Formats: sequence, structure tokens, C-alpha cells
Amino acid sequence: MHRFLTIILFMAIYLPGVWAQGNRDFMRETGKINVVVGVILLIFIGIVWFLLRIERKLTKLEHQLKEEQQ
Amino acid sequence: MWWKALSVVLVVYSLLAGMLAPLKPGITRTNPETAKSGQTVTVQVFGYNSFYTRSAANELRVWLEYDSLHALAGQDIKILSDTSLEASFLFPPDLPNASTSVLLNAILDHPKDGVSLLPGAFELVKNTDTAAVAGSGAWNRNPVGDLHVIKDFTFPYRNVIYESIRNTYYHVPMWFALMFLFLASVISSARYLRNPTLENDRRASAYAETGLFFGLMGLVTGMLWAHYAWGRAWSNDIKQLMTAVALLIYFAYFILRRSFDEPEKGARLAAVYNIFAFASLIPLLYIVPRMFASLHPGATGNPAFGSQDLDNTMRLVFYPAIIGWTLLGFWMAQLRIRYQRLEDRVMDLE
Repeated sequence: MHRFLTIILFMAIYLPGVWAQGNRDFMRETGKINVVVGVILLIFIGIVWFLLRIERKLTKLEHQLKEEQQ
Repeated sequence: MWWKALSVVLVVYSLLAGMLAPLKPGITRTNPETAKSGQTVTVQVFGYNSFYTRSAANELRVWLEYDSLHALAGQDIKILSDTSLEASFLFPPDLPNASTSVLLNAILDHPKDGVSLLPGAFELVKNTDTAAVAGSGAWNRNPVGDLHVIKDFTFPYRNVIYESIRNTYYHVPMWFALMFLFLASVISSARYLRNPTLENDRRASAYAETGLFFGLMGLVTGMLWAHYAWGRAWSNDIKQLMTAVALLIYFAYFILRRSFDEPEKGARLAAVYNIFAFASLIPLLYIVPRMFASLHPGATGNPAFGSQDLDNTMRLVFYPAIIGWTLLGFWMAQLRIRYQRLEDRVMDLE
């Protein structure tokens, strides 16, 4: 859970700096449209993180139920 | 079930309409960006999303404007490309006011594309060498007027943020979803205090958790946007600080829930805490930010959306986006509630 949070924060803060290096500025090109792409990407990653958390909890519950039945 | 389908339809609509509709044409810069009074200068104007070649040069009009009484119309307009043209300006020997330099707005009127404007585009410096001042130009010989206002499905062009104005449909609905989810959470907590059932507690915690998730998303997307719009991801803007405080208060809600051996006692205290947390959310997000200068739209007085930040085309995407993301948030919270219900039942079996 915390690992995913770290990855999201890393992406938001560190990656723009990487993109900004060199002569081409990927994020500021073409009217900063890639900032919008980045925002949508972050939200998507966040939703996947949310799904993964539920998935992990469900897996645990399934194992528990299996043990009950045995 | 219908509202889940609706949430998907609205989010997809906000993604498609928000990304595909073009921006209105704008002016990115002029070249040169400065001149002295009394000079005659050929100025190049660079457009964004513009189609200058679609009309004849004599249909295009361009001005450098100080205020409604002081504006200079460009002469001998030459269209160089869709996004650049040049015009010559006869600057009068005197400035519109007594200062040593003034900033002029560039205004361009195109019969098919409409008006575009760049505030403070051009600096006119007072020429101290009076002998060199030979200009015969005068302010407002051709005042700004008869502008073409085109109504179509386009988003406003704003200097500095450009295309990232579209983040209004993705960053801002996160905060609306947070607000509705925290509201649902506090209602469930109040219900729990009147009727302490496991179900009410499950709902309160799941809504708070999903609300917190949207808060984190809003914060992270806001930091990315801020990096390119304000220059820094975190500039201690009052709204940034207050939302960070509000999210920490809700983090503490979960720590409080888990710090009791008896679940009933923890649930009860957490329910009381939740009511206080929600009560503190209102001043933190809606009152305090209005009392200080902020980088957020509206600045002092009203850090929300006025008519200047949100035009009618944007509303057509913005409001559906809010409803869509909020419903999606409730869907996500419902999954958490249903999971918790199952877990509680499995625990009962043991």
C-alpha cells in the first residue's frame, strides 16, 4: 500500500524533472497537453492501486474460507 | 446499478469531450516585445490554434491596446502563416500615462476564428531622446471595436496554462468526490451514534477511506499541474496547506479506529471524531482559503470558480465530470463496504 503511494508521489514530483532535461521539454511542448495526460494517468494508477488493495484483501478472505471448509 | 453505468458514461464523456474539444485561438507572443514611443515598428504576432490564412489580410485586424481610450491598430498586415502575421505600428510620441513605460495588450480579430488576446504582450518605453521622436501616430485613431465573437464548442485560451485548462475536468472533480464521500461518511457516523450497528460503522469507514483516496488523487494531480502552471509542485499555497491539514485529520481517523482493543469502543470514538473532522473540513477547505491570497483561481476573496475561470462550454463538461467521478467514488466505496460485510461474516463463522 505504502509502496504504491510512494510510486505515485515519485511520478508526480520526480518524473517531470527528468522530462524537462535536454533541449526538448516534453511536458511543456504542444501547449502543455502532456500535463493533462499525466494527470489522467495518475488517476488511473490510483484506481488500479485501490483495486489491488481490495483484491489482496479478497484473496486473504478466500484462503480463510477455504481453511474453514477443510 | 443504473448509477454505476451512469458514472462510466459521464466519466467517458468528460474524458472524450475534455480532451477532444479544441482551445480557442490565442496569441502566444509578439516579436519584438518592446519598442520606444515615436517609433514605427513592424511587429510579428504569433498565434496558437489560429488559422490566419483562412481569411484575407484586409479582414484581419490587430491592435496594441492600453485601455479603451488608448489603442493602436496595426497597418499593412501581412499573413505569414496560419500562426504568424506581421503588422506595422506607428507609436505616438507620448505614452497614455505619465510613467516611463506601459504594457500593451495584443488583440487580434479574425472573422472566422474570433477574437484572441494576450494581456501585457508588448512593452512601450518612453523615448527620452525628443529629437529622435518623429512619429506622427496618435492613440485611438482606429479604436478596438466590431469584434467577432464566435460561439462554438471550444475551451478558453489562457496564457501560461494553455491546454492544461482541461485539468479542470480531472483534478477538480476529485475534490468534489471527496466532499460528497466525506459527507456520506459523517452521515453514517451520525447514524451509528443513534443506532450502533456494524453496518453503519462499515459505511462510515469505507466512505471516509474512499474520500481520502480522492483527496490524495486531488493532491497528487494538483502537484503535477502546479509544477507546470505555477513553477513548483508545492508552493505553500493556502489551499494546498489547508487540504494537507484536512487530509491529515482524516488519516488520524483511521489511526484512532484501530487503536482500541474493543472494536465497539473504537467505532464509537471514531464516529464522534468523524463528526468533528467533517466540521473542521468546512473552514479548512472553504473559509480559510478565502481569507488569504492564493494561487488558485479567484485568489483573494473566492478561491472557487467564477465566470472568468469557467465559461459555458467548460460547464458542459465540468458538471457531468463532477457527477461522474462522484458516482464512481460511491461505486468504489460500495465495493469496500461489501468486502467488509463478507469479512465480518467470515469472522463470525470462526
